[in-house]
Amino acid sequence: MELAGLSTEQAPPIAAPIRFFLTAPLFGILAGFFIFLSDSHTLMSRFSMDSIIATHALTIGFLGFVMLGAMTQMLPVLVGAKIPRVGMVCKYSYIFLVIGTLSMLFGMSLDSQFLNITAFITLGIGFFAMLFSIAISLLSVKNFTATVKGIATSVVFAFFTLFMGLFLLYSYIVKDISEIHIIVANVHSVWGIFGFAVILIIGVAFQVLPMFYVAPKFKKFCKKRVVWLITSGLLLWLVLSAFYEEYSLLGKIWIATFVWAFATTVWIKLAQRRRPIKDVTVWYWKSASVFLTLGSFLWIFDEYFKHEYIVMVAILIGSFIISIIIGMLYKIVPFLVWFHLNARGYMTIPTINEMINKNAARAQFVFFMASVIGFIFSFYMPELLKFSAASFIISMGLLEYNVVAPVLIYRKTLKTKPDFDTSIYEGVK
Amino acid sequence: MTTIKEFLSADHSRCDEIFAQMEEKAVKSLVSAKKLCEMFAEATEKHFQMEERVMFLEFETKTGMTQGPTAMMRHEHSQMRNLISQMLEAIDLNNKDKFFGLSETLMILLQQHNMKEEQMLYPMAEQHLSNESDHILRMMESLIVEKY
Repeated sequence: MELAGLSTEQAPPIAAPIRFFLTAPLFGILAGFFIFLSDSHTLMSRFSMDSIIATHALTIGFLGFVMLGAMTQMLPVLVGAKIPRVGMVCKYSYIFLVIGTLSMLFGMSLDSQFLNITAFITLGIGFFAMLFSIAISLLSVKNFTATVKGIATSVVFAFFTLFMGLFLLYSYIVKDISEIHIIVANVHSVWGIFGFAVILIIGVAFQVLPMFYVAPKFKKFCKKRVVWLITSGLLLWLVLSAFYEEYSLLGKIWIATFVWAFATTVWIKLAQRRRPIKDVTVWYWKSASVFLTLGSFLWIFDEYFKHEYIVMVAILIGSFIISIIIGMLYKIVPFLVWFHLNARGYMTIPTINEMINKNAARAQFVFFMASVIGFIFSFYMPELLKFSAASFIISMGLLEYNVVAPVLIYRKTLKTKPDFDTSIYEGVK
Repeated sequence: MTTIKEFLSADHSRCDEIFAQMEEKAVKSLVSAKKLCEMFAEATEKHFQMEERVMFLEFETKTGMTQGPTAMMRHEHSQMRNLISQMLEAIDLNNKDKFFGLSETLMILLQQHNMKEEQMLYPMAEQHLSNESDHILRMMESLIVEKY
């Protein structure tokens, strides 16, 4: 049985996840600038270059970075799986992914062959190295819980999303945008969102909601079946879209129904939580379940509106994922700092509640919500787009400030060594 | 028949329940939560000692692993004892912000600690201590808590 999760020494060094967490909001700011410099008419088309660039600044730069960083930390604790050579893999993958993401965003923006080829190579290596290492670590897990199944399934979808993404980037490089490009792009986006991100979040939520909020545990049926049901829905949707397009709506209804059921369950669990504390992370989980419900059903109705609302679907589902991620960052970053300082023997350090300014976190939430609502209404009132983008940039700037604050406490504590106390080790012989 | 895993996992839930009641009470008034905080401290201390003085010892004797997972669990117990004593101090000082900061930290530490025990250590203990299981359960049930 894997014991890595039981040992602080074998847990990933704090730098492994933190560098991903601190970089993600910067890509969020960049995405905000791309949107600010565009216009709502161009962004109405999901295949416009501006839409693709802004979307990937968020999906790779923000979501991808946080999710990969979080997995390095969560795998040992939640499922007892240790990523081999985690420090080295994270460090080099991170460098490749930063170069790759920037190259892709600016390569597509400036139509630069050199940057697009650089992006193709570096993103391919960076993502593959991380996903492959995660997959290897999951192979060592003996206790196959619902969370492990969720994470493992999401990693399989992540591989498909990566290979399809590389194919799409390659077709931009060789300037061969055929009909298959559109089909692959469709599967890439749906599997990336529902297969990778949503299933990963579901798997993690099974553990994290009861753990952080003392919410009731998820029912056995939910834990056993939801991931399987959404996965089968994604496969059904793929087959129907490819061979019986007129029936692809059935696949969408299947997926949306179970995703909605999960979103509702999250809401109910939070309402029944035993911890009475209301912090910004609870707001984020609640708003996420609303966005997920709206987004899933709009995705179905989009069929009847000739796909004109698909960007709105992306905004809602994207807001669901971003909301959860921000909520998790507000918990994970201070806890990591506290945990690593405490493990080094520093006892009188700020608690995790004191590391992030509550008002700054609330302000960040308000700016984020204003931007999401603004983005949706900018389809009817184009002049709202710039204000919404500015609000999004501010929210991401505040998020960066909020997650940097605990890291500064960590560095300051290591530097000043306020109360190094070795009594903590007395129990460990 | 109850297993070591079932017995200790149920005890985790019992401590969680007292913790939740304590926080509920503390939202209204910190002073009124003092009794529940002391109850939580006692229940948690009993749980720690059932592990440290009975189950971990048996596990270490049987497997020869004294530097492995049990050492790490003991270390986390020390971290949690420290947080609980700071929570009691915060109640005496009537410092709500400090109390909830500590309880939040303790909750996350406690939950991830319990998860590791329930998913890894207890199944390992059951594997190695199946023959002594009844005896260990009896010793844990009848344990008299020493002042820490």
